[in-house]
Amino acid sequence: MAAVVADARYSRRRHTNFVATALSIGAAGFGLTWLLLILVVLVVKGVGGLNLAVFTEMTPPPGSAGGLLNPIIGSLILTVLAVAFGTPLGILAGTYMAEYGRYANLTMVVRFINDILLSAPSIVIGLFVYEIMVARMGHFSAWAGAVALAILVIPVVVRTTEDMLLLVPNTLREASTALGVPRWLVIRDVAYRAARAGITTGVLLAIARITGETAPLLFTALNNQFFSWNLNAPMASLPVVIFQFALSPYSEWQQLAWTGALIITAAVLGLSILARVLASKKVLT
Amino acid sequence: MTFAIQTDVKEQTPTAAEGLEEKVAVRRLNFYYGGYRALADINVNLFQNKVTAFIGPSGCGKSTLLRILNRIYDLYPNQRADGEVLLDGENILTPKQDVNLLRAKVGMVFQKPTPFPMTIYENVAFGVRLYEQLSKADLDARVEDALRRGAIWDEVKDKLDASGLSLSGGQQQRLCIARTVAIKPEVILLDEPCSALDPISTAKIEELIDVLKRDYTIAIVTHNMQQAARTSDYTAFMYLGELVEFDNTTRIFTNPKMERTQDYITGRFG
Amino acid sequence: MDMALQSVPVQVRVKHDDKQRAKVLRGFRIGDRTFNIITQASAIAVLVILAGVMLSLVIGSLPAWRAFGFDFFASESWNPVTEKFGALPAIYGTLVTSIIAMLIGVPVSLGIAIFLTEICPERLRRTIGTAIELLAGIPSIIYGIWGLFVFAPFFQAHLQPVLIDAFANIPILNQLFAGPPYGIGLLTAGLILAIMVLPFITSITREVFDTVPPVLKEAAYGIGCTRWEVMRRVVIPYTRVGIVGGVMLGLGRALGETMAVTFVIGNAHRIVPSIMAPGTTISASIANEFTEATGELYTASLIALGLILFFITFVVLAAARLMLMRIAMKAGG
Repeated sequence: MAAVVADARYSRRRHTNFVATALSIGAAGFGLTWLLLILVVLVVKGVGGLNLAVFTEMTPPPGSAGGLLNPIIGSLILTVLAVAFGTPLGILAGTYMAEYGRYANLTMVVRFINDILLSAPSIVIGLFVYEIMVARMGHFSAWAGAVALAILVIPVVVRTTEDMLLLVPNTLREASTALGVPRWLVIRDVAYRAARAGITTGVLLAIARITGETAPLLFTALNNQFFSWNLNAPMASLPVVIFQFALSPYSEWQQLAWTGALIITAAVLGLSILARVLASKKVLT
Repeated sequence: MTFAIQTDVKEQTPTAAEGLEEKVAVRRLNFYYGGYRALADINVNLFQNKVTAFIGPSGCGKSTLLRILNRIYDLYPNQRADGEVLLDGENILTPKQDVNLLRAKVGMVFQKPTPFPMTIYENVAFGVRLYEQLSKADLDARVEDALRRGAIWDEVKDKLDASGLSLSGGQQQRLCIARTVAIKPEVILLDEPCSALDPISTAKIEELIDVLKRDYTIAIVTHNMQQAARTSDYTAFMYLGELVEFDNTTRIFTNPKMERTQDYITGRFG
Repeated sequence: MDMALQSVPVQVRVKHDDKQRAKVLRGFRIGDRTFNIITQASAIAVLVILAGVMLSLVIGSLPAWRAFGFDFFASESWNPVTEKFGALPAIYGTLVTSIIAMLIGVPVSLGIAIFLTEICPERLRRTIGTAIELLAGIPSIIYGIWGLFVFAPFFQAHLQPVLIDAFANIPILNQLFAGPPYGIGLLTAGLILAIMVLPFITSITREVFDTVPPVLKEAAYGIGCTRWEVMRRVVIPYTRVGIVGGVMLGLGRALGETMAVTFVIGNAHRIVPSIMAPGTTISASIANEFTEATGELYTASLIALGLILFFITFVVLAAARLMLMRIAMKAGG
């Protein structure tokens, strides 16, 4: 009556299980080791050049010491502009998809296209903005760089806004509508308020995404040796400067490249952690 | 509020003297979720080739108890059992016990029908192949036998290659039963097997249990008292993690010894 | 006084409120219509952006198509002086580096995902899982400079000679792994892409594994399956479509990756049998050459490369999304 468990068969199964488990643990170790290695090297090499001058002096000519002030400020300017352009558009689009157009065919199409834009090669976006702005205007500019980054911001914000608004329970909306409140006020006062934390998280994630993006800036904002507030002219940015300095043969430039890379990574990790903390705190009831 | 039941149970429990073999004996069993004690000092027997039902209100621990019998709780880190569970006289709670072998002897059917993402044939053959190497003809025969024992052969014999998920809920559950008996266990645990099914499927499965007990020892957890009365030989009533009364089914439902049992059965609380 | 108030007919008072209310309601309607239009326009803007990208790439690359036609795909030459351009080395490089990245990245990612969902002790699970997700956000330029300054020299000094010797006497393979050990090249770029793509595919696979109902796994364990058998015969078949979707998303990423590859690819527009030789990818070519491209045909050729890349990634990403949509419906249903 009892199951006849042939010893050879069972021990073979146990053996396979053991090997598979070992391989799996090995894969985890292998993958994590490389990733940690990169971080460790980054910190070690970047910290070496980390000093006040990095944040106060401009990029130096080859062979001399200096800092990263203009690329850091440039990156901040570009990021602020990109978020200013991309976030409202993204939130509004996400609002349509979750509210007015929840069951519309348009929403399905937009969602699909948006997801593709989300993972599209950013260098192609750079080419696009080059064609419509730089070639048109005849020169590189910070505006073009900001627009390129904005196009990267929009899909992230659209996705999170739609997801967060869809999470708001319909009972909340119904309660407000039953009082006679019009759709747009229900959205503004009820849905947005409930999804506020989530949408903010989305914006933070979008910022994390564009921090460190180099390719789209290569031929839109280009680069600028000097400090400049002029949005109509090329503007330095941290990633592009790192690109230029790393590929150069000058040791001071290479050191600045590592330090810049460390700063970018710290910013991205900081934003991501902030986004997570925010997301876990405000749990919708 | 503990009941002084330990000695009571020993007196009530039908014993080997009545000609019954103890297939599974639970002795002084305590079970913890983290720091919380979910089962307190459980002593109960499953007799060979008999159906034992576990009844009680929600949260009384009957499913928890069942899941100890095949050590499926092992999958979850915070859960811990303390005491003895003897299968044919051997304690299965010791670390030395091989859990895979245990589960080959003690099968389980869950509340929600869970066909594997495979064909109907494969669902049944899968388990057999784990333990035995059979020729195609032998395997076919084994699969047919299992599907017959699961009272579903006639309905699927022409579509063994169809996906297991293409069956109705009641059929899926009978497929799960067939899958379980295919590996020739000695004990079958049924955890509220009919609660997700319609009345007709439920009736079919209850008939099936009556036939299955000829070859297997069966434990069934159910929140449906009438089902327990219909299908089982022995019934254990549990409340808040303790075993209140364990006796012959007829005696429990007509003349229970404990007042709390009486209250539950008559619907005073649910 | 009370008498005077009471003598005012009720209808008169209500009519006064009516006018006020009608004004408010009209404002509401206008507000709704406006907001509806604004949000819908924003949603359509997303479509317009995509259309704009495709259109501008097509228009910008027209000179190249007119000059070379379909020969553009087959030609290996890349000569700014004679203005003869061909996309083949770039396409070849893009595909080869991505394939190497997938061949190594996918099994390792699956292994990590299995480790995290089944083997890893509970306490460590969240830490390691979060660490991996955070690592997925590291910008690719970091991988690029690490690759150039750390990995490439190491690879050149220690690993490449080993590979060259190991395959030296095996036909075909000794051509694939032929020296000299440059350090940089297609293989290096592929390996760096593999590391880049790891956290990404791992998190998607993990999410997909989590959609398996616990009862299903318990049923398999209940029959006496070992952990590996549960993964292989139940979990992976159940999530098969989602895994493929995740892998394809990773592939889409790898194909379009610029900075991680540009630093270590070597920038050579040619195709040789050895994967350890320098080469180029579409995105690396554009990144390295666009700002210095003189002449309409040079620029147009680079944009044509961009169009090809966009097309390839569009197809891969669209297929991936379709698959992931299917598993989302299955989980919900």
